[in-house]
Amino acid sequence: MDVGSQVTVLYNAPHLMPFQLPIAQYFYFTGLSAGSFVISVIAVLGGKVEYKPLGRIGAILAPLCLVLAPLNLLVDMTQPLRAWHLMTYLPGYVNFKSPITYGVILLTVYPISATIYAYFVYSNNHKMSKFFAIIGIPLAIAVHGYTGFILALGKGRALWNTSLMPTLFIVSAMVSGIALMIIMAIVRNVFLMKNATAEERQKDAKLIHGLGGFLGAAIITDMFLLFNAVLVILTSSKEAFEAAHLLLWGKFSMEFIGIEIVLGSLIPLFIVYYPKTKNSFKWLTFASLLTMIGIFAMRFTVVVGGQSVPLH
Amino acid sequence: MAKELEPSRDGRKRKIRYAMLVDLRRCVGCQSCSVACKSENEVPLGKFRTWVKVIEKGRYPDVSRHFLPSFCNNCAKPICNRNCPVKATYVRDDGIVMVNMHRCIGCMYCMASCPYDVRYINPLRKIVQKCDWCAHRLDAGLLPACVETCLGRALIFGDINDPNSEISQLMSTNPVVTLKPALDTQPHVFYIGADADAMDPTKGIDIDHVHFHEPY
Ligand code: SF4
Ligand code: SF4
Repeated sequence: MDVGSQVTVLYNAPHLMPFQLPIAQYFYFTGLSAGSFVISVIAVLGGKVEYKPLGRIGAILAPLCLVLAPLNLLVDMTQPLRAWHLMTYLPGYVNFKSPITYGVILLTVYPISATIYAYFVYSNNHKMSKFFAIIGIPLAIAVHGYTGFILALGKGRALWNTSLMPTLFIVSAMVSGIALMIIMAIVRNVFLMKNATAEERQKDAKLIHGLGGFLGAAIITDMFLLFNAVLVILTSSKEAFEAAHLLLWGKFSMEFIGIEIVLGSLIPLFIVYYPKTKNSFKWLTFASLLTMIGIFAMRFTVVVGGQSVPLH
Repeated sequence: MAKELEPSRDGRKRKIRYAMLVDLRRCVGCQSCSVACKSENEVPLGKFRTWVKVIEKGRYPDVSRHFLPSFCNNCAKPICNRNCPVKATYVRDDGIVMVNMHRCIGCMYCMASCPYDVRYINPLRKIVQKCDWCAHRLDAGLLPACVETCLGRALIFGDINDPNSEISQLMSTNPVVTLKPALDTQPHVFYIGADADAMDPTKGIDIDHVHFHEPY
């Protein structure tokens, strides 16, 4: 007889789930910011004239998303008026071992550098914008990578506690950032380029189609990492298996398999590579929207799903 | 607090390291510890610093009921302390992990990191709290409220650095286990006779329908 299957919990006292929707939203917005910043930098460093609009769009989106992101944290804290305690930077008051502290430092430095970068991009100062682009790249990657560390160092949660987390977060940030850039670039091409010559618009459209290819590559990388993560948690510890169960065929399978994998990855992947759809603005917009929804579903399943395995 | 023992026979001074031993051979599952703790620490409705998990297992007539009194483990390598960004969580010299209620910003990262689900948000004070083995009582020379009230004397509290304490003697002569030792948080709540099914958080529940308490 399998005694294990005959166990009933009569009484237990679970506490509340600490990280909920605001934290998922925070990860989502920092991801958007980091992703669009990196694309902008690639465009600026590429140096060609036709890349310029991309550089500009990304330069604006990056600081904007980064203003929205920490607001979620303020809403989530139970003592928002004590938020300044994080920013004293004094060793006696701040714990430099905590990933949140890494984050506070990055969230102070990165928006400043991103804003200066945006200023130089818009004032056409090529030399300075290149300089701040190079400074900004590691910062942008770190600002999103550290959110992966926040989860990875939460060692009680089997889904989070893997060294894959920071990389997975950076790659999914790229995915959502590129998708947002595509939408913005299409909006610009359709609504703001009324006075441009046909040739200019053609060049711009070509650029956007190129971004579509980029998006596809990022989605493939993201799916590869997810596949690795799932394969490992299916076979490691018991808690990890339960987390895999929740994502694959349990409570969160709708969000994970349905929205993130099928709607947010497979369908957009098809659209950006299928010859009949890959050059259509309508389809590209649709694919980008789906991707952005898919990445949000990913943030949600990782944050909330990761905490849905009981600890006690 | 840096209480030090008298020099021992080998002439070295030892620091106090408090620990809790739960002798489940003596536990009757009466929940007096939960009640004593609630009253001593003014733990709000719906929250618990200590509670007794109860499971039943087996098939009639071969059945049994098992208890798991649960506390903060006041770990020797507390991940909550490592992750608290503002040093609101700190460790006393005697090993007790504390939360400074004037410093806690309520980011809840400690709750997300602790592998034992022992921390909660106090809905009135809006900060994180947890079992601290009644540090205020220890400082006054008393035992933790749960230990004092335990009717079966199943809870043994004391200094494991003192070889003559009751807890040291019991731990040296009995097989003891801790919760989730593989995580290397080095819990300092030890159990004699704990049931593996009671210690397994994923047993006996339908994981797709676990109810998590509403946020504060
Ligand atoms: S049981 Fe949890 S809250 Fe208590 S010291 Fe260990 S990690 Fe921290
Ligand atoms: S909720 Fe309070 S005790 Fe917990 S990590 Fe945040 S500041 Fe520290």
